[in-house]
Amino acid sequence: MAGSDGDSALRLRGLSKRYGEKTALEDVSFSVGAGQMFGFVGPNGAGKTTTMRIVLGVLAADAGEVLWRGGPIAAQERRRIGYMPEERGLYPKMRVRDQLVYMAELHGIGKEEANAAAERWMQRLGVAERAEDAVEALSLGNQQRVQLAVALVHEPDLLILDEPFSGLDPDGVDALSGALQDEIEARGVPVVFSSHQLDLVERLCDSVAIIAAGRIALSGRVADLEGSLAETYREATRR
Amino acid sequence: MSPRRAVALVAERELREGLRSRAWRASLAIQVVLVAGIAIISIVAAGGDGPSKRDVAVVGPRAERIGVKAREEQRDFGIELTLKRFGALAPARSAVSDGDIDAALRGRGLTIGEDPDQALEALLQNADRVIAGEDRLRRAGLSRAQADAALNPPPLRTTEVEPSGGEGGGGLAYLGALLLYIAIISFGYAIASSVVSEKSSRVVEVILSAIRPSQLLAGKVIGVGLLGLIQISIIGAAGLLIALFGGDLSLPDSTAETVALVLLYFVLGYAFYGCAFAGVASLVSRQEDSQSTTSPLLVVLIGSYLATNSALGNPEGSLAQIGTFLPPMAPMLVPGRAAQGALAGWELAASIALMVVSILIVVRLAARVYDRSVLRFGTPMKLREALALSRRR
Repeated sequence: MAGSDGDSALRLRGLSKRYGEKTALEDVSFSVGAGQMFGFVGPNGAGKTTTMRIVLGVLAADAGEVLWRGGPIAAQERRRIGYMPEERGLYPKMRVRDQLVYMAELHGIGKEEANAAAERWMQRLGVAERAEDAVEALSLGNQQRVQLAVALVHEPDLLILDEPFSGLDPDGVDALSGALQDEIEARGVPVVFSSHQLDLVERLCDSVAIIAAGRIALSGRVADLEGSLAETYREATRR
Repeated sequence: MSPRRAVALVAERELREGLRSRAWRASLAIQVVLVAGIAIISIVAAGGDGPSKRDVAVVGPRAERIGVKAREEQRDFGIELTLKRFGALAPARSAVSDGDIDAALRGRGLTIGEDPDQALEALLQNADRVIAGEDRLRRAGLSRAQADAALNPPPLRTTEVEPSGGEGGGGLAYLGALLLYIAIISFGYAIASSVVSEKSSRVVEVILSAIRPSQLLAGKVIGVGLLGLIQISIIGAAGLLIALFGGDLSLPDSTAETVALVLLYFVLGYAFYGCAFAGVASLVSRQEDSQSTTSPLLVVLIGSYLATNSALGNPEGSLAQIGTFLPPMAPMLVPGRAAQGALAGWELAASIALMVVSILIVVRLAARVYDRSVLRFGTPMKLREALALSRRR
């Protein structure tokens, strides 16, 4: 199955990364179309997080390139990405509202607009009543909602989410995936997320890439898979 | 977004969250109480400089003349005398032995208690001597004015020699050095722990998806520095206010300049050490590990402080002169040398220039280390490794 897509929004071409002797990524390529929900699956240590960090620019690749809307991605465009790292990261003692406003401002949003966006996302993700509480006082599920709000608060052009659903109860999964689908429908934002919950990926995503030992084993549309995603995954990661 | 705005946003957050934090407020309150305590103690101790109040019983006209004469001279002896007239010696004596009054005079007899006050005794002896002299001179036929003139020659012409460096500057110099040392060490640690906590909470990865590591570093150093400046200003102002209003503690004329220099060198010293602390702190991802990487810096800082203390003992000496141009030492030493009047203008200019150059070097090195290590989690990274790694993270 060819993953290349003529009008892809995000395209990774031949990414390689080594840490000393260890090869983390080897010739990683795939594309994500505008308005697509894209699942990125693979075993632990296969290279998902490294790939995402390279797209974000917090890590540099040894070879290959990241293309955005046809050209090499620029620093300015990278700042328009919304990111949720696998290791959640928030200021524990900072209030929820302040945190969201700060993150929005760091992404270049003006003060007033940042306040409005923070309010909107707290409402949307059901943490508005905790706005004045320190993040550390929230349950883990609610912290995860705040983390997603941080990724969304500056109206990003692209969302990169590392294991956004892990550790969430079904209500939390519905709230988060609902918010993501709204973003895709309303603004055509492509969403790339990694997950170990294959049934969830199969249910939510249009396309997937399976990575194993730093290489892309398979990428393409979910509808084109011959069996279930779980079967394909087992097949792909066994090799 | 402009780099300046990114730095400003980070600095503003550090400042706002710092001012809001309970730990910061508590440590400020403790320090203000400490400084106020020291100021109050020194005022009370300095209170001994005022005249001491003494009560003296006088029995009979001769004793009263001595008492009145003594009151004329009391200021020179640092005594404020109150005379109490007694009809007889016995009750006056028992008042002395009860400790109600300090001495009793009858005729030319003086009764004083145990542990006598030498100044009081000298005052009374002197008064008696003057009266006896007056009486003799009058009997020899001199007029009252002539007798007065003979007994009160003009005082010795006295010339005060200024101690080199001006009065009081020495004490202020040590105090300034201590204050700067404490400020640099506490804010060095504040910035280090702030850097490590961003790494340990992993929030740094989210931040760095928006701004560059050097912008984050600069913003943090500036924000924590402003917090420090606010803290030492409040503490300094509290101490000064109490000293000025509470007692007759006089400040040397050069105080304003000293305070300005202390603030300037706090900024320079903090920039120097703060960036270094931030750089080495970024090597670790857990607070427990930060002790080991910051300890070499701590050794440099403590060594510089000890050297500064001995240099201030001889502010014109070679250690003081060399230290003025050593960036780790100069921030604590230079304001102190200036307070003692031992600093030449060119030395100050050269010292500031050297500080600025060394800060630029430290900032570059720290930004480099920070840039390369801040997203490396797990075991602490070696400083050499962080400095040597290629530009690509």
